[in-house]
Amino acid sequence: MTGPVLAARDLSKWYGQVIGLNNVSVEVPPGITGLLGPNGAGKSTFMKLITGQLRPSKGSVQVLGEPIWGNPSLYFRIGFCPEQDAFYERMTGLEWVTALLRLNGHDERQARAAAHRALGMVDLLDVAGKRIGAYSKGMRQRVKLAQALAHDPELLILDEPLSGMDPIGRRRTIRMIRDWARQGRSVLVSSHILHEIESMTSNILLINNGRILAEGNVHQIRDLIDEHPHTVYIRAADPRRLAREFLAHLDVISLRFQPGAVVVETGTPDAFYARLTELVAAGECGAVEELTSPDDNLQAVFKYLVKN
Amino acid sequence: MTDPSQVPPLPQSGRRSPGLLYGAQRVFAMSIGQMLWSRRTVFMGLVVGLPVLVALILRLLVEAGIPLMARGRTPVAGPMIFGFMMWGFFVRFSIPVLAIFYGTSLMADEVEDKTLTYLFTRPIPRGAVLLGKYLAYAACTISVVLPAVTLVWLLVVPIGASLGASFPDLLKDLTLLVLGLLVYGGVFALAGTLLKRPLIFGLLFVFGWEMLVMALPGYFKRLTVAYYLQGLVPHAIPGDSALDIMQALFHEVPSLTESLLGLGVIAIVSIAIAVRTVSRREYVLEQ
Repeated sequence: MTGPVLAARDLSKWYGQVIGLNNVSVEVPPGITGLLGPNGAGKSTFMKLITGQLRPSKGSVQVLGEPIWGNPSLYFRIGFCPEQDAFYERMTGLEWVTALLRLNGHDERQARAAAHRALGMVDLLDVAGKRIGAYSKGMRQRVKLAQALAHDPELLILDEPLSGMDPIGRRRTIRMIRDWARQGRSVLVSSHILHEIESMTSNILLINNGRILAEGNVHQIRDLIDEHPHTVYIRAADPRRLAREFLAHLDVISLRFQPGAVVVETGTPDAFYARLTELVAAGECGAVEELTSPDDNLQAVFKYLVKN
Repeated sequence: MTDPSQVPPLPQSGRRSPGLLYGAQRVFAMSIGQMLWSRRTVFMGLVVGLPVLVALILRLLVEAGIPLMARGRTPVAGPMIFGFMMWGFFVRFSIPVLAIFYGTSLMADEVEDKTLTYLFTRPIPRGAVLLGKYLAYAACTISVVLPAVTLVWLLVVPIGASLGASFPDLLKDLTLLVLGLLVYGGVFALAGTLLKRPLIFGLLFVFGWEMLVMALPGYFKRLTVAYYLQGLVPHAIPGDSALDIMQALFHEVPSLTESLLGLGVIAIVSIAIAVRTVSRREYVLEQ
């Protein structure tokens, strides 16, 4: 596909008196595009409109050249990984992905084979027969990703796909998304963490207050974000040991403990994430169960951006 | 993680949406297990288990030599007790209650659990989700209610009567229950897609509206499900309360044809409107 994978024209969505998205006109080219914005910026509304879960109040949205609302055939070509941590908890990962694939019209044998393939792609084959209710946060994120890509879609739409993943899972998923796009397929990925988006693509859409603020290259935004400290929440088996490592090696601005977790504020997010991945890979500081970054960082940058 | 370039592509079985019935069939297969293992199944077990328990107690009393007498000190035969239990327990209570609790939650459960997104972003018509879940509800409740009724029949009917003679009535009763579950289920599935508080509507409909208009003369009773079910009951409908006496005064029983036609129209129209509503509603706003 040479044209835009997604085209919105004067797209607006309001909920009663509240405007979720305001007159957005944008074209998303093939390849990987990042949708970056703080919570409440309109990211989720935009994602729901382009996945046909919401009907535009005004304007139109076309995905892969077709209108999405009320067009179920288009879901053959789209894979969607939603943000919410919601599952049929009693099903195993394999059963769940297979059942969803069967909704695409595949027979049991094809669906099972494709589910196996998808679970292999996200490194979950060894727990494919385990109930989703027993999965860790990272595994749940990955099984969600597996159901999105299992039917081999042309366009993958990922809403905060790395949220809650451990550093190694995060690195592998980023690599997998990049490899996926290298096959000539497109990915639209949303996040409130620039660092995440930047590791996948330099092509971004900046969204705030229901409007697209900017689109294009990430570097200018990158310079802005570097001026602001970056906060990372890490839930780990031994947060005190992790904290010692951070203090010894990294540009840590502040550090505080929460039950079972440590919250670090750093001025060098790249170096921080790289070191954390090394520590986890080496197994020096025990398991890291969850890694999240509150969107205060980005909110500050957006305030700055809008002001200027 | 496996490199996506190294794995064979999934065979694509066409790019046309699989259609309402295929989609419904797949959603049914996906939902039936979820429904059977939900907390509601415990509730359903209690609702249909109570009459079985009562039947067992009655049978044990008879086996212990304690005769079951009516008010006039006349012995009561098993088929009469069964008829009473069928109408009082199952037709007027268990069936509508199960339909209210399952039917109104067909879409609400997916919305509350935030799992609807996965079904709505698949190449099936949205209405197939409701239809599939409705079929799962029907299969789930029928598979529990029918064995319970049969058990009650096996326990109660042999009290002073033979099983063989009342077997045709049992088949009619089972058909009546299946129709009751399908029709009430359709009505409450529709309520679940249209209303904010469908549970309250359901309870008011069954235990308010239906009870009231069934006791009064006039055409309003044609706006109930119970009226049409009445025409299919193979036994005399028991009752001796003041309400029942009033009901007997204005007793109107529809013919078999009118009953079947009425029930069919209610079920089909309800499901059709519910499917249409689901296709147009933005459920994600409620998640």
